[in-house]
Amino acid sequence: MITPGSRNGGVYVDKEWVKQQLSEYVEEKEEKRPVVEFLTKLFKHKGAVFGAIIIFLFVFTAVFAPWLAPYEYDKPDSSAILQPSSAEHLFGTDEFGRDIFSRIVYGSRISLKVALVAVGISLVAGTVLGALAGYYGGIVDYIISSITDIAWAFPTTLLAIAFIAALGTGIQNVIIAIALASWAGYCRVVRGQFLSLRERESIQAARILGMSDARIIFGHMLPNALAPVIVMATLELPKAIVIEASLSFLGLGAQPPTPSWGVILDSGKGLIGQAPWISFFPGLMIMLVVLGFNLFGDALRDVLDPNS
Amino acid sequence: MLKYIVKRILLMIPVLVFMTIIVFTIFFFAPGDPVSRIAGPNVTPEVYESIKRKYGLDQPYIVQYWRFMKSVIEGDLGISILQERPVIDMIKERLPVTLEIGLLGFLITFVIAIPAGVMAAVKKNTFVDYLCMSGTLVGVAIPTFWFGMLLMYFFAYKLRWFPISGYGTIKHLILPSFAIGLTNAAITARMVRSSMLEVLKQDYVRTARSKGLLEKVVIYRHALKNAMIPIITLMGLRLGWIIGGSVALEIIFSIPGIGRLMVDSILARDYPVVQGAMLVLTSSIIVANILADALYAIVDPRIRYS
Repeated sequence: MITPGSRNGGVYVDKEWVKQQLSEYVEEKEEKRPVVEFLTKLFKHKGAVFGAIIIFLFVFTAVFAPWLAPYEYDKPDSSAILQPSSAEHLFGTDEFGRDIFSRIVYGSRISLKVALVAVGISLVAGTVLGALAGYYGGIVDYIISSITDIAWAFPTTLLAIAFIAALGTGIQNVIIAIALASWAGYCRVVRGQFLSLRERESIQAARILGMSDARIIFGHMLPNALAPVIVMATLELPKAIVIEASLSFLGLGAQPPTPSWGVILDSGKGLIGQAPWISFFPGLMIMLVVLGFNLFGDALRDVLDPNS
Repeated sequence: MLKYIVKRILLMIPVLVFMTIIVFTIFFFAPGDPVSRIAGPNVTPEVYESIKRKYGLDQPYIVQYWRFMKSVIEGDLGISILQERPVIDMIKERLPVTLEIGLLGFLITFVIAIPAGVMAAVKKNTFVDYLCMSGTLVGVAIPTFWFGMLLMYFFAYKLRWFPISGYGTIKHLILPSFAIGLTNAAITARMVRSSMLEVLKQDYVRTARSKGLLEKVVIYRHALKNAMIPIITLMGLRLGWIIGGSVALEIIFSIPGIGRLMVDSILARDYPVVQGAMLVLTSSIIVANILADALYAIVDPRIRYS
């Protein structure tokens, strides 16, 4: 409440009223539940909001693809070959007259599936290995960390290519290859967390009380070690999307006519002079989705894991 | 100091050995029968057996690995099934091409990332900083191969400044190197910025300033030198990324590098070539990482890993 008064450039400020308002605000803040507080902090980041919107749109597109796509993704149309963007074909058409927009909409399903499953597998595998190494120490730790260090030294894309060379092409194998090539990061992080958690009094007390190893690991230590793992997974999702697209682009992943974003990019490769839109839009989508996950992941790290 | 470096280099040996085990095992357990891969589908049982013996494929895993390891040490990576030439010769032809792109890419990375990172750090929380940092956010998100295609469209098809594809002159290398250098610059600029901010907080920078040195001298002669130290290690780590990224660029720009060789060989199921290329690439990346680590210790005498 501001009323005309004497000081402050002719504005009189009712101090009591301000104090009252502030105290209410402070009380209100203290009453907030942890989840609410977490979300408030997270969405103070402009990047997190922007990232969350992109992620939401991406997931929404993948889930509702059949309703959002105006055309079938694999239906050729000889009357609409290599058309640039228009009201009818938002992102143009390819050399078979297929609608690029529809193909991209369906392609989001492949990106999302590969990212979720590959990251899920590598997260679980890496976390379990890291937990075992960090909890038991000694020879178990030595063996697991040696393997992890070596796996970590391999560049992810090259390692994924090697696994594809052995396993063969196809979405299933891309998922396996990405998972096999990217578990080491989780293992290192979880191991580090467990090594420090192990020394905590509460954990040592649990041991003395005779709690089973499994209960200590999963009930008491893992929940405390999860924050950096979640941050890492958020930042690994876009990497998996890019690796899937690169492998499919190289002909090593999804095979045509599957509308993977990498396959669409590849189909436009030879036509870049005549029909640049074929490759332009799927690449743009990859960039936006990666940007969204990165922004959200960075904000998540600031909130969940401020030490790193 | 010397002890640390020697130790680091000795530690490299088990890593390299383990790497050969991984690469060997991946291809040993690859689905499909290697003998029919070599001999083709229609062979008589006698020919099949003789091929199996000739390549030592009738031996158990351990024996095969041992033979593989022995020939790798002798510099023999096997024979290409498709071209019937030693794999090592094919790699010798292709690797320099990839390294050219990689080195030119690193050069472009430095030319862009260092000024951008320093400027962002010096003008922290100003418009310049925000502009640089938003640029890096987008740069990190751009898929390298897509960026290469964009460059090809604008600079080769539209402006006709560079040839569309192929290999031979420096002009052929500019666009792919730029694609890889600029995307790599994004992440490097962020590192330069944070490393620079760390250094600018140090006492000696304040001393240099209070001595009345020009700000330019303080930043470029005193601060940047130390801020670059962690960047060296980062560049060692980025080598793997650069080579991984150049695979697709070699395909796009029709450049006969090792990445293209690898993809072509995978599609043609020429496994000895894939195996050899993997071995050479991963071992050079591992060596580069460890050398960068050792270099880190030489440049910064404070660093002593126990």
